[in-house]
Amino acid sequence: MTDYGEPIGIVGSGSWGTALAQLAADAGHKVLIWTRSQEKADAFNSSHINSTYWPDHKLSEDISATTDLSDLASFAKFIIVVAPSHGFRETVSTLGEHLAGDHVLVHATKGIELETLKRMSEILKEETPAKRIGVLSGPNLAAEIMNGMPAAAAVASKFPEVVERAQSALTSNRFRVYGSRDMAGVEIAGALKNIVAICAGVVNGLELGTNTMAMLITRGAVEIQRFGMKHGADAETFSGLGGIGDLIATCMSVLSRNHQVGLRLSRGEKLEDVLGGLNRVAEGVRTVRAVHEMARRIKVDMPITWGVHSMLYEGADPKEVSGKLMSRQTKYEVDSYN
Amino acid sequence: MSEIEWRIPVSEDERGDIVSKVTDRVVAELMDSVSKSPENELEYIINDVLYHEKQRARSEGYSSEMKEELSFLKSATRGLSSSDDEKKELMLRKLVQHYAEDIAGHFDKKVYAFTTKILPIGLEAIFNVQSPDTLLSGFSHMPDLRARIAIRGNIDHVKEMARKGTIIVTPTHSSNMDSVVVGWAMNEAGLPPLNYGAGKNLFTNYLLSFFMNSLGAYKVDRRIKHSLYKDTLKYYSIVILEHGCHSLFFPGGTRSRSGTVEKKLKLGLLGTGLKAFINNLLAGKENPNIYVVPLTINYPIVLEGETLIDDYLKEAGKSRYIIEDDEFSKPFKTFKFASNLMKMESSMTLHFGEPMDLFGNIVDENGVSLDPRGRQVDVRGYVTNGAGEIVHDDARDAEYTKELGEAIKESFHRNTVVLSTHALAFTLFNMLRCDNPGSDLYRMLRFEGEGKKYPIKTVLPRLAALTDELLKLNNENKIKLGGPIRPGDCAQEVMYDALRFFSMYHTKPVVSRRSENIILTDLNLLYYYHNRLVGWGLEKCVSGRN
Repeated sequence: MTDYGEPIGIVGSGSWGTALAQLAADAGHKVLIWTRSQEKADAFNSSHINSTYWPDHKLSEDISATTDLSDLASFAKFIIVVAPSHGFRETVSTLGEHLAGDHVLVHATKGIELETLKRMSEILKEETPAKRIGVLSGPNLAAEIMNGMPAAAAVASKFPEVVERAQSALTSNRFRVYGSRDMAGVEIAGALKNIVAICAGVVNGLELGTNTMAMLITRGAVEIQRFGMKHGADAETFSGLGGIGDLIATCMSVLSRNHQVGLRLSRGEKLEDVLGGLNRVAEGVRTVRAVHEMARRIKVDMPITWGVHSMLYEGADPKEVSGKLMSRQTKYEVDSYN
Repeated sequence: MSEIEWRIPVSEDERGDIVSKVTDRVVAELMDSVSKSPENELEYIINDVLYHEKQRARSEGYSSEMKEELSFLKSATRGLSSSDDEKKELMLRKLVQHYAEDIAGHFDKKVYAFTTKILPIGLEAIFNVQSPDTLLSGFSHMPDLRARIAIRGNIDHVKEMARKGTIIVTPTHSSNMDSVVVGWAMNEAGLPPLNYGAGKNLFTNYLLSFFMNSLGAYKVDRRIKHSLYKDTLKYYSIVILEHGCHSLFFPGGTRSRSGTVEKKLKLGLLGTGLKAFINNLLAGKENPNIYVVPLTINYPIVLEGETLIDDYLKEAGKSRYIIEDDEFSKPFKTFKFASNLMKMESSMTLHFGEPMDLFGNIVDENGVSLDPRGRQVDVRGYVTNGAGEIVHDDARDAEYTKELGEAIKESFHRNTVVLSTHALAFTLFNMLRCDNPGSDLYRMLRFEGEGKKYPIKTVLPRLAALTDELLKLNNENKIKLGGPIRPGDCAQEVMYDALRFFSMYHTKPVVSRRSENIILTDLNLLYYYHNRLVGWGLEKCVSGRN
């Protein structure tokens, strides 16, 4: 008879939500996924398959699904929320109706709410009674995780208990979870990496090579850190899994939507055609608008963000943007020396 | 005494029980830590006390009180290094009990009733022993404090919470008058008396000590720095809360030197609320809930204003945490302050914020916590672990207390009551700032402001712009308004009201009127009173710039 750890609830049955469910099952937990679709829930429960995202993967029998959030809230006190950022508030507000003070929420959604410029953890605080909140982020390409390849992530929370329970929920011999206290830093890094990923697509589209990609990733990490520290984040977070780790993985991922946006723009396609051709919006396209505005307000120098914003929203030519970035005044690499 | 029969905070009967509980808990906690970590030896803990007290004697001098203290310590710890663990534990117990006895208050219900009736006269009597003739001539009639001290806010809600559970009132802190004023206001509003830790330096004269005790104060000796004393203080607070004794903590820790509304809070004592609540739950207590009631105390002029701002500006506040030689300790100054203030109508305003739970959630009239969306929450869940057990968790609870601190700060912010002196000071100071863009603050205060003249006809429009903005903020529930600040054209009334206050008490008037001009006289105090309105982004409306 298997001894299971505490039951885990997952809100969101997309590619990453499902992968997290599999990780939790691998770590020895019974898992309940919430999905909007009854059809999907039935498929989960009968055949243990997510036919939309992972049709070729048989999921653990310890994973079941429901369309009822109150079921989920009764089943598990530890819940991972993986809803898309543009519908995040609505989803968690509904979830909040079924939660109690003893629920622990960890979100794995990367993005910033455009209308309010708030991070996902702030939305969890506003829309639910939960106080013990955390964020999970890292170089976690869902396809590789579903294929059993080793990976790691950071879980950040002000509550050590949340970190411990998240580590217990997900750690196995193929997935390591490292703790952090810096929620703001992990969330900001996770959201802003998508902007740099668009630029990575431009680098590949313009066939600029490995040196350019390395420069982009490095200087992209610097401006993400600069932005993050203005919001109270710790510098060290940006050297971690949620920071540079996630940034590298995302920029190297040529099939990602963000990458595709940058690639196709650099090859001369119009933005509306690029976006129309994707089945879902690339997060970076949304995030760059929010971050561009926030950076302007708090006067933070973010040249790559401005470059991406000008390509997406001001009609700038990617080659010209590249030229402008390369002709900026050089300074010391480390901000504190300037 | 009040309309409802309140629970007696700490009667003499309960006192012994509380002292003994505090002693048991502190000793138990320390014995537990000793058993878990070999390096935390009992002898080290006791030696730490001896070391700190000897250091204190060297720096403060060997007064009779200090000699007595050292003598006690010597006798209580004789033979420490050669004693076995059982004897060391007894020594520890003796030390803790000694501190608990020193801390514990001497509340008496009958004396409390008497004190609150005579407080208006008592305020004067406390600080200056006058002849009956002088005493009576100082007040031309019995001052009606109700006309001078406005008590506003969620009073009925607070009353209800005091019936349903235990309340911790957390006021802003500008003056040593605060605890006396709050003591009077609680009684006047039909609210229960509060237990609070008053600095031992405030018990300097017999009469003051008598009144402090009878109003519910327990003694906190801030000169003592060692952990054993701090632990004893912490457990004293926890135990009296568990006994249902309503309490008062100043979360700012000390009086605001700069005059701003508290931005940094000390969370040590605040955390005792959560500990007491969890203990209540574990003990199955019938009314386990503890509620926090933020309270803003808003003075048009502050008794110790000159000393406080001087201290802030000299940045000596760090080393002069206990200021003993300020205006509060000068009887004549205090008498002048109190009697002048009593002549003015609607002098000060106390505003009770919405009661909240220990996690920063607002509570409804039934004491049930509400989440940010107004949904009911059972707060026991917050202190439940993954296995469904109610437990203490220091790291978790420290974080909860930080969040409570943030909620209290937000309440302070939106329940600050703006008075005429703050408004005029803010207007004038920002006009001076606009005239000296980029100038260093200290230079501006010392060299560029004193004697500066502003025609009233230039001041009034700026003041009007400020009051308009304050009205907007008030409508958005971001600030409260007091005195003559109200809708309509009130700028002139506000200005004259402020000028009256500014001329009445401080060594020199903060500002004064000469013909059709306002002269800036005391720049430090102007800056001090202006600071009350920092944090709402009002500077641009006075400067006329975005």
